[in-house]
Amino acid sequence: MDLCFTDAQIQFQSEVRDWIGAHLERPFTSEVRDSAHDANSLVEVRRSWQKKLNDAGYLGMRWATEWGGRGATEVEEAILQAELNRADAPVIPNFLGVSLLGPALIHHGSEEQRRRFIPKMLSADEIWCQGFSEPGSGSDLASLRTRAEPDGDNFRITGQKVWTTFGPWADWIFVLARTDPEDRYGGISFFLVPIDQEGVEMRPLKQITGESEFGEVFFDGALAKREHLVGQVGEGWRIAMTVLGYERGASTLASPAEYESQLRGLVSALEQRGTLEQPLVREKLGRLVVENEVMRANGLRTLANIAAGIAPGPESSIQKIFWSEYHQRMTDTAVELLGPQGQLEARSPESRPEIDWAYQYLWSRAGTIYSGSSEIQRNIIAKRVLHMPTAR
Amino acid sequence: MQFDLNEDQALLRRSTREFLEKEAPLAETRVVMEESAEGYAKNLYAQLGDLGYAGLLLSEEEGGLGAIAFAVVMAEMGRVAFPGPFLDLTLAVQMLANCPEASAREWQDRAGAGSALVVIAQGEDIGSTDPASPSVVFEDNRVRGSKVFVPFGAQADALIVSTAQGLALVPRPGAGWNAMPLTTLDHAQRFVRLNFDDEAIRLTDPESGAALLADALRLGALGASAQMFGIMERSLEIAVAYTSEREAFGAPIGSFQALQHRCADMLIQTESTRSATFRAAWAEETGTGEAAYLSSVAKAWAGPAGRFVCGQTIQLLGGVGFTWEYDPHIYLKRLKTLEQFHGSTAWHIENALANAPLMEA
Repeated sequence: MDLCFTDAQIQFQSEVRDWIGAHLERPFTSEVRDSAHDANSLVEVRRSWQKKLNDAGYLGMRWATEWGGRGATEVEEAILQAELNRADAPVIPNFLGVSLLGPALIHHGSEEQRRRFIPKMLSADEIWCQGFSEPGSGSDLASLRTRAEPDGDNFRITGQKVWTTFGPWADWIFVLARTDPEDRYGGISFFLVPIDQEGVEMRPLKQITGESEFGEVFFDGALAKREHLVGQVGEGWRIAMTVLGYERGASTLASPAEYESQLRGLVSALEQRGTLEQPLVREKLGRLVVENEVMRANGLRTLANIAAGIAPGPESSIQKIFWSEYHQRMTDTAVELLGPQGQLEARSPESRPEIDWAYQYLWSRAGTIYSGSSEIQRNIIAKRVLHMPTAR
Repeated sequence: MQFDLNEDQALLRRSTREFLEKEAPLAETRVVMEESAEGYAKNLYAQLGDLGYAGLLLSEEEGGLGAIAFAVVMAEMGRVAFPGPFLDLTLAVQMLANCPEASAREWQDRAGAGSALVVIAQGEDIGSTDPASPSVVFEDNRVRGSKVFVPFGAQADALIVSTAQGLALVPRPGAGWNAMPLTTLDHAQRFVRLNFDDEAIRLTDPESGAALLADALRLGALGASAQMFGIMERSLEIAVAYTSEREAFGAPIGSFQALQHRCADMLIQTESTRSATFRAAWAEETGTGEAAYLSSVAKAWAGPAGRFVCGQTIQLLGGVGFTWEYDPHIYLKRLKTLEQFHGSTAWHIENALANAPLMEA
């Protein structure tokens, strides 16, 4: 057993820390508090941050060098993510492109597709969104009904996608669409579709946070060129499922690092309120500290197993449930302990400068729903880890 | 990085499991609960002593195997709810090894070999529970005062007693201990109140005594967390096996999603306990400086997590889960006992918070 980073990894960590210190002007929370910003200009903050990361070679680090990679390991990627989250750096606008579409193109795409799309995805000159979920197909994704019909050499896409994160700013969307209504899994194909065309309509959806970071997309005979089909017809499901597991290591240490920063903010707020020494406050705070540290222990274990070449498999379900449900407990408790002040929105007078608790409190409700809901994750654990019987 | 046990540790786990399953199956714990006056199988302790288990926490030169090996063994003992004060014995052996007195060496050897039972007597009445200021006194080579919840104090051949003047060793007096047995919910664990007015040997001054007690608390928390992990692991196995067999409404009840999700939650609690415990063991073994913090994290987590897992195993077995005949109650009881000792959950939450890196200015 060895849960230490190597000297080279520690060196990398300090490089990353220095780099963030030199390049991140201010935490993203401070950007959001700045009333000079609107939703569009915040996206530009994120875009320019992604460009800096890309110029420094911090995106797609595990990819081959010709696609911007540096032959890095998952441990290094996890270190990078943890440092970015600790510093409250902006989330890059192309996070779905980089984490899902990039690996899909590298492993399943054509040479032309890689050349055409990867550089602009990394530089954020083209923003990508994901077209997987549909109004009737969320957890049961394979029931999706958006269809792609041949039109000469090309395809025409008709249907609706929803919960399309960054959709309102996206240039392209990668879409799972049905090419065979009879074959549940083998009848799904993976397309790259430009949004700026007749036949595609993107409508923002307002979230409980008041933002419209996601949207819904309507396809009405939208054109998907044959050369923008990833893999073969019918390979879409397999490709999507493979790439969903590709980034399993990168996030292992990121959540506890981010939540530790938030807990630090909570501690200083409680100190200022003069309640940090109250036993009931300390018990609640102490439990949050304990749980976050247990989450980090789980993350180190998963990462160590990946580093040792042991496939993590369903451990990622444990991780997903843990961080998403923990963040709800944490924000619940923080808002409670901060009293009325805990509800102040970022731009309100008298709000706390370090953490936007009102936003975190609301945003935490999303984590247990997206990327496989907590219920789906528990199904996976029961079936694939505990091997419990299937319903007749 | 690597989370797996090394070859030696993996071998230790296999051989310990084989030994315990053969020599100390749960049926033996049941016998101890129901019949044994001693409350533990003395001959097994001698065998384990012969095999070197009581000296697990000693330095490598003295035959110790390190904190990870210690956690491995404790987890296995948890799986069979191994009766008696084995964790307390290993802590006492480790403590004696760090006392300079010659008599400490002699008792260390006997306890390490499993031929004498030595445990630490630390607990005092509510209101005087601060281990830094015990009310028991050592003077004129005698120990006077009262200790409570001494594990297997009535059976001990000697006790290490925390006093206001430092640690003292009290060999069993000729007339036997002045002990009052306490009955707690786990009948395989025996506690007593002890009233001392006995000849004793001074082991340490107050300062080094406090340091040794802090070590024992930290290591005890680690050992208890590891046992609780073993208990949870076995308890979950029982729950999954039962719900996969038992049929209702024409199907195995384990195919119902409500029960599957319960078991998934039990797995999350159990595996997280494993992660936290072995991370703490690793920190202890490598001396990263986080050992006190991480063992408190593990113990503060393991108690509530274990209560959930053991409680839900009873729930999932239904009526038979509530019977004396089925095993889940044995695990719930041992778990609950372990949660109360080696620092309560509340104590470890506060200690984790006080030592948390994020509390540093």
